[in-house]
Amino acid sequence: MDANATHSDRVAFYLTGRRAEGMREVGALRPALQARYRDLTSLRHDFPLVLATSGDAAAPSLTALVDAALASIAKGADAERARRQVLRVEQEVRVLLQQGVEGTLAKLWSDATARLAPGRDASLAEAARRARATIAVDGPLLRCDATLPERLLQHVWQQEQQRKQTALRERLVRLIQQLSDILRADFERSGAGRDATRLKASVGSGHGDLFDFDAMSRVLARATPREPMPEARRERIRRLLGVLDAQPFVALPDENAARAAGHAAYGYRFDSCAAALAAWRERLPKLIELARAIEVAELEIDGRYHAERHDALFASYGANGLEPDLLSHFPDVFVCLDGTSLDAAEQTRLMEILAGELPIKVLYRVDDLLAALDDAAAPTSPGLRCRQIAHMAMGLNQVYVLHAAASHLPRCGERIARAMRFAGPSLFCIYSGASGAATGQSTYLAAAAAMESRAFPAFVYDPSGGPDWASRFHLDDNPQPELDWPIHRFEYEDARLQRVSVELAFTFVDFAAGDARFAPHLARLTPGSDESDLAPIDEMLLREAGRLPERIPCVRMIDERDRLHTVLVDEQMMRKARRSREMWHSLQELGGVHNSHANRLLERERAAWEASHAAASALPAATPAAIEAQAAATSLLAEAVPEPEAAAPSRDDAYIETVRCSTCNECTQINPKMFAYDANKQAYIADLKAGTYAQLVEAAESCQVSVIHPGKPQNENEPGLAELLVRAEPFR
Amino acid sequence: MNRMTATECLLEMCEEHLELEDYQSGVPRWCTGCGDNAILAAVQRLCRDEGLRPEKTVFVSGIGCSSRFPHYMKTYGFHGIHGRALPVAEGVKMSRPDLDVFVNTGDGDCCSIGAAHWIHALRYNMNLTVFLHDNQIYGLTKMQASPTSPIGTKSNTTPRGSMLEALNPLTVTLGVQNVSFVAQAVDWVPELLYDIVKAAYHHRGLSFVRIVQRCPEWMPKLHDPWLHDPNRVQVLHHARGLQVSAALGRVYRNQLEHDPLDLDAARRIASGNDAIPVGILYHDPEVPCYEDFKRSTLLRTPALIRSGLQAQFDKFTVWPKAAEVETAQQAA
Amino acid sequence: MDTVVSPPTTVKPAATARPEATARTMLTLREHIVEIISDSGEGAQRCGQSLGAIAARMGNGIWTTEIIPAEIRPPARSVAGASGNRIRIGAGPITNGGDETDLVVAFNEQVLLGRVRAKELKPGCIILLESMWRTHGDAQIAASYVEAHDKLVAAGYHVIEVAMEQECKALVADAKRGKNMFVLGILCQLYSLDLQIAREQIALTFGKKDESVIRTNVMLLGAGHAWAATNLDFGFRIPAERVTVPQLVINGNTALALGVMASGMEICAMYPITPATSASHYLSDVFEKVGGLVHQAEDEIAACAFAVGASYAGKCAVTITSGPGYSLKQEAIGLAVMGEIPLVVVNVQRGGPSTGQPTKAEQGDLMTAIFGSHGDAPKIVIAPSTIEDCFYSMITARRLAETFRMVVVVLTDGGLATSQQPFARPEFSESWLAPPIDQSPVPEGARPYDWDPITGLSPRFIPGQPGGMHTLTGLAHDRDSHVAYDAEINEESIRARSLKLAALQTTLKPPPIFGADEGDLLVIGWGSTKGAIEEAVQALRDEGRRVSSMHLQFLQPMQGGVGAAMRRFQSVMTVEANWSDRPEDALIDDDNRRYAAVATLLRARYLVDVDCWSEVRGQPIKPGTLRRVLAAKLDAITAPVGSPT
Repeated sequence: MDANATHSDRVAFYLTGRRAEGMREVGALRPALQARYRDLTSLRHDFPLVLATSGDAAAPSLTALVDAALASIAKGADAERARRQVLRVEQEVRVLLQQGVEGTLAKLWSDATARLAPGRDASLAEAARRARATIAVDGPLLRCDATLPERLLQHVWQQEQQRKQTALRERLVRLIQQLSDILRADFERSGAGRDATRLKASVGSGHGDLFDFDAMSRVLARATPREPMPEARRERIRRLLGVLDAQPFVALPDENAARAAGHAAYGYRFDSCAAALAAWRERLPKLIELARAIEVAELEIDGRYHAERHDALFASYGANGLEPDLLSHFPDVFVCLDGTSLDAAEQTRLMEILAGELPIKVLYRVDDLLAALDDAAAPTSPGLRCRQIAHMAMGLNQVYVLHAAASHLPRCGERIARAMRFAGPSLFCIYSGASGAATGQSTYLAAAAAMESRAFPAFVYDPSGGPDWASRFHLDDNPQPELDWPIHRFEYEDARLQRVSVELAFTFVDFAAGDARFAPHLARLTPGSDESDLAPIDEMLLREAGRLPERIPCVRMIDERDRLHTVLVDEQMMRKARRSREMWHSLQELGGVHNSHANRLLERERAAWEASHAAASALPAATPAAIEAQAAATSLLAEAVPEPEAAAPSRDDAYIETVRCSTCNECTQINPKMFAYDANKQAYIADLKAGTYAQLVEAAESCQVSVIHPGKPQNENEPGLAELLVRAEPFR
Repeated sequence: MNRMTATECLLEMCEEHLELEDYQSGVPRWCTGCGDNAILAAVQRLCRDEGLRPEKTVFVSGIGCSSRFPHYMKTYGFHGIHGRALPVAEGVKMSRPDLDVFVNTGDGDCCSIGAAHWIHALRYNMNLTVFLHDNQIYGLTKMQASPTSPIGTKSNTTPRGSMLEALNPLTVTLGVQNVSFVAQAVDWVPELLYDIVKAAYHHRGLSFVRIVQRCPEWMPKLHDPWLHDPNRVQVLHHARGLQVSAALGRVYRNQLEHDPLDLDAARRIASGNDAIPVGILYHDPEVPCYEDFKRSTLLRTPALIRSGLQAQFDKFTVWPKAAEVETAQQAA
Repeated sequence: MDTVVSPPTTVKPAATARPEATARTMLTLREHIVEIISDSGEGAQRCGQSLGAIAARMGNGIWTTEIIPAEIRPPARSVAGASGNRIRIGAGPITNGGDETDLVVAFNEQVLLGRVRAKELKPGCIILLESMWRTHGDAQIAASYVEAHDKLVAAGYHVIEVAMEQECKALVADAKRGKNMFVLGILCQLYSLDLQIAREQIALTFGKKDESVIRTNVMLLGAGHAWAATNLDFGFRIPAERVTVPQLVINGNTALALGVMASGMEICAMYPITPATSASHYLSDVFEKVGGLVHQAEDEIAACAFAVGASYAGKCAVTITSGPGYSLKQEAIGLAVMGEIPLVVVNVQRGGPSTGQPTKAEQGDLMTAIFGSHGDAPKIVIAPSTIEDCFYSMITARRLAETFRMVVVVLTDGGLATSQQPFARPEFSESWLAPPIDQSPVPEGARPYDWDPITGLSPRFIPGQPGGMHTLTGLAHDRDSHVAYDAEINEESIRARSLKLAALQTTLKPPPIFGADEGDLLVIGWGSTKGAIEEAVQALRDEGRRVSSMHLQFLQPMQGGVGAAMRRFQSVMTVEANWSDRPEDALIDDDNRRYAAVATLLRARYLVDVDCWSEVRGQPIKPGTLRRVLAAKLDAITAPVGSPT
């Protein structure tokens, strides 16, 4: 046996991908770091989810629900036993799901219990029952398979739609009611409303013979003549009712629908952008009509509609579309796209939707990131296209973008909800992990690995988050976002049964190596080969590319019996890894991690600061005066700038401190020409010439809040001036 | 986010804007120099600045000089009976939450004959704005001591001076459970009066504003000491309360920072008796409004009433026996 | 309707249980009055109500009256503590509580004595008496039982001792509480009532509770039924007409509350007061289901002012009270009159003056209803005379209040409030409901009080109507609602408010006459006495006496044609439950006699010498009593001149 492929063999493999002796087909190995994830049923992870039909969380994870239940039931003596039993049931539910059993939480929970405790173990059944009793929510259970993204998102979308539709329905019913009331009120006071038969009906059979209703009708008719509602208004209201009754956006309760000859309400779920756009264009006119009707109705009901002012305004209503804020009151459209089979036409329409700020929520699903990645000749892979579309959407600035692997969705509850609430288009780029299943991996692990390895990072662009990238763009859901690759501690026993602990990075290679299509680029070393000339991927990536390598990149993998293997990686594979890292870097920059601009700015500032310091220490001590001046300056800046003093009028001018006038009418009574009230009903001197100095002084004296200042007389030869001046003195 | 849509902006433009005169009706018959004039001016300013629609605004009053107030507003008004302004206003508000309802009441109307309603109105905490025009004397009936007349007040019913300590409307209101807004103003500082009236209007719940008011006819000299010495007016200010303008601050230098959420402090301030505290003593926006849990949220359609009534009838209906008897026989 | 059948003398009911049933004598009756009494809380009420409902379902006419002690929890076994129900079951329709009781079931002898003293039991009536006391541990109790028992037997009552509790003990743990259903079983057997209907009735009454409760009670029912079959050798059959329409069985206060809901009113403001409160209780429970609300105000004054405010703002409101509360509301009612604000005020009359007799019935508030509140304050006053009428009166009241901008006072009384009588289930009509609030702009130049010179009516402006702004005032005001003190305007406005009554009056039909259009005596009544009066009149007419009656539903304004009708009779008298001086009293003569309310009104309006008979015993007037009174009056009228009367 040849344990030692030579260094040159290894270099050769690295450069050409040709295996020498002692290098074997990689076979069915898995990344070493996934060692712990062999049996997912025994692992309490984020799946399955419950598509809750009630409760505040749209899709809580089974684990979370059970934990909550345990917290409330696992008390007292048998707490520990109950805990174990319930967890056992939880695990059994996972097993059932894995075996492909479908159903609601209620169903699978009881099935699982039945399987575990067929009659015998009463205590387990009891524990299971108690736990289930505390779990308020129910709904279909959802495991992480290819259908997850669509089912989950559609579920959340539907809940949001229900909320919206209920609100809209209630609003319409209210408007219809109130509009009809206006007509009814008008009818009631009309002649017809007061004819004998109606009056008779209005007192009820018990009192029908008590009155002479013709007489009463006559009395009322002559007593309360009222001009009826203007025909124009009645017509307007009728038209509004027509629109509201017949609108096809939500189904109304029977009593309303009855009038509207039971038309069907629109559907809002589509499988192609083409269909969605067509529907949108066809519905827009009706939508504008309805939105207008609602606005007008509100005014009409509030008695605030004035034809002369509003007709023109509403004639042009919605001419240039409707704003997203307004649209957000109406149901949104949901479109599901399969990224692997998306033609150019669809992509163009997708961009139309996103650019048009239409209220459409789009799921863009990718099942395979690695397809076409291995051969250089192929067009861009679905994975790359998906990333590219996400970036274009972000470039539009008014699209909510969520980019994540399916395995991560349970952690995105709040973000998905926000995206569904967002007034405008939302784009969900989701990697389902289905390709993993194809190559014998679990969908969940494939998806998780894609995210872990930066092959499909999680990021969010939320236009409603704030004005700038810092508040809109989030990268922090990814593991150790500040690093190139997440690093994990990995422990194993070596050939000499020594426990070894190393830190491994989970790189793009770890993700791809699990996929059979990349086998050609990998070579497994016989156990015990010399590894002195090997280096892990992350380390290799730090080195300059394109030189004769003195070390060969390798990746740690395990087989189905959890034995550790060292696998060589060729240069082509390394190129993919490098590219994936570059893309990650650019994301980091958007997310403000190692942002190059920021770093440069920082550099410059630091340099400047050091420079100035150097200078300062060089200079002789500053003069005290200078320092004081500086202090003064800064303190001036520190305290709020006082408002400029109004130039205090001199004792010679006559004036009133108008703001302090308490509208007591004293002065205006003395001389309404001289003293007048301003827009706030506070007095000022309107015309000094309109009266005598005597009046001015009298006013000053009688003013209770003494805000009148007579100043000096205008007319020097007014009689009794001397005495007046004495009286005026205290008020000047 | 509550930015206006284009339509909202346009509608805003369409709204007609009223001036003070548009809210003025008739010529006030109050005496020259009466503080009611100042209150009228401040309230009309509020209506104009808040763009209140005259037809959607109701002023309810009882009996007394102050209660003539509604007659001088070109809005809907209800000049009712002595002491009952509050229950009437409650009825109006309960049946018509879409209306802005104000109450103008005097020290006799509110603190004497209507005292029971006063206490309970505070407890209900309906969304009303209540102005207590407190001139500390019965004016319309020609000078009798009122509950708030200072001890020793000489009046036609207390010719040798009133014997009882004056009732303090502030401590009373601050002592009632569910109280949510208590402020005090004086008619001779119009700027603060306006700010307080405005704050009261914006509070959702019962806002009680005691306005210390001069009566030049029967109590001409009563407030002179306070009038002539600005330092005897203590202005309460706070980030959550009033902010005092620099200009005013120069006249009224006696200022106190008071947190309107601090009920104990409010009670302390209210009990003090030299300087008149002016500002918001207490304001808790969280107190629930009676109408909010009392009014049904159901849309009151004929269909609703029909079904509700049928359900009740069913409880008490005895159906013709025939059918039942047959079933009985079958059962037997 | 013929006179009440006295208990069968042929029957000698056994005082102790018999081993096996013997031939039973069945007696067919036109009607019977049954009474079930106990200490309060022993379920006699429920037993009675169930019996009434069952009979009603059978197609019998019924009238049930509550027997209520004055205190909430009177001491056990006290003479004053009788609590229970009195059911008059008839072959045809029953319009009132009738006379004395034919058969009574008593849970202890003391409550029974109370009824005997109150003269509520017919001489020799059948008594089913709980016998457990005979062997009671407390010697004193046992003794008093024996004494009472013997006294009753001696007095000629047919006392049948029944070991109710003992019988029930065999079946249920808490026999004390099961008794009433056992008794119901006995009564079903005695009156040949359909057991299946009885079971269904129990299911209905205990519907809210769970199956087991219903089962237990049905079992007790059956046991009672079987017991009676074996141990009682007599029974009654009261023929029933087939009921073809669904009927409501409710008391007057429930009818009022349902009427409020049906009238489209949205707000009821009240303050607790007996005997009106039960209407508000029921309303508080159900009003919100139709979007309404009950406001319990801080006092009667506030309750009325609150209602006035709500009405002014466009939603005609109702306030429900009784005498003392009504007095307090007068000032606010006056304001409503002055401001021409629609308002419905219900006064469930009790004994007065002052606190008077809270749990009893009287018709003492008519004058204050018509003339109450200072100054000239015209109001509409109507008085329902049946349970059904209580329901429809609320719809009519709301309608009139809004149409005429007036206060409508609805006068019922403690009797109607607590009595049950079946009536045809109403067919709801949307036109009963208040019209939507009119918020349309007020035409240029329109005025808030634009009184029509003929009818006094004027269109009403409601807050929210653009251009309608004005200040409503309780002061004298002109057509613009401006305060005005000058003579012309004051007279004009008072005239207008008064004319509205006349306007309404012209739309009223004359009250129908019960009996012939002419004769010796016309009896006029109002309110809850209708059933008793017509029953007595019918009885006398059957004897060939020339007497008729007329019942007034409108007291203000009064329906036309009354004067003409009176002149067609030789003599006229009113029958009322309010005080009138007794002519036989030493001091009373034509110069000082105070007549009953309606008599006074009629005399004043028509200058006819209207006599009156009235009693204020707090109990509904009995048809038997009336029959005697009217017979006497007729004798007096028809006695040949000169002969001693």
